[in-house]
Amino acid sequence: MADETLFELLHLEIVNYVLENNEIKNKEKEAKDEDLSVIEYIGFSTGFRIIERLTKEMPRFKDELDTMKFICTDFWSAIYKKQIDNLRTNHQGVYVLQDNGFRFLTRLSNGKQYLEAAPRYVAFTCGVIRGSLANLNINCLVTAEVQNMPSCKFHIQVQRS
Amino acid sequence: MTIYNIYIFDKSGILLFYQEWNRLKQSGMTREEEAKLMYGMLFSIKSFVSKISPTDIKEGFLCYKTSKYALHFFETPSGLKFVLNTDIHSQGVRDVLQQIYNQVYVEFVVKNPLCRLSEPIQSELFKSKLDAYVKQLPIFSAKSI
Repeated sequence: MADETLFELLHLEIVNYVLENNEIKNKEKEAKDEDLSVIEYIGFSTGFRIIERLTKEMPRFKDELDTMKFICTDFWSAIYKKQIDNLRTNHQGVYVLQDNGFRFLTRLSNGKQYLEAAPRYVAFTCGVIRGSLANLNINCLVTAEVQNMPSCKFHIQVQRS
Repeated sequence: MTIYNIYIFDKSGILLFYQEWNRLKQSGMTREEEAKLMYGMLFSIKSFVSKISPTDIKEGFLCYKTSKYALHFFETPSGLKFVLNTDIHSQGVRDVLQQIYNQVYVEFVVKNPLCRLSEPIQSELFKSKLDAYVKQLPIFSAKSI
């Protein structure tokens, strides 16, 4: 029970730490946009390794859509204790995952308050998704969109070479 | 049976949150003065209770009652003080205060990275969750007696 809280608190401290570090380094330059790429990279490495652990007993995935479905159900339940609520695709390599109660945002607000701060808390997850898919041989770009907390949409764009 | 208002103080005496549901008479002071008065009273009463106690003290000051209202007090190990004014017929208020701390304060203030712990609480989510929690209590009713 305590590990859920531990994960949430650790995550928010990582975000605070990275942002403070950025502030110290950028004192001379006026950095208007927050640099979330470090957090995203931490997520990438984490996702890359955790997918090995989570899929060690499973057979290979039939196709990309199957992989996406796995991400939405088992993967999300293992990390965020719930499943993705809505998956949409255009079958051309673009997928939208919608989570109506994203774990790191449920404590922030129930609507629009604190909306400017929301991107910081979804950057890690974007990295986790990107890392996991990278290790499953799907190279992609992941971005997130938050309109009404606590629901959040992750846009995955698969890059075919 | 009703709940009139709630005060939340941190360990240095700063008023973090105040909400009223049913207050009929104002005290004639500004909110800061009233908060300071309340905190001063709590501090003095706690120390008085522990000094005068004829036996070993377990929890210390819990509540006071007048003929019209009762003031209930709950202090957490971290020094947070929760004060709730209710009418005299309410039962089980101590548990209510404990649940408010566990289920509303810890979840929506402590775990919210944008709420700093020694500053007054600005989160709308905390306010609405507290409101919803209080209104579903059996000791709360919208009509005052």
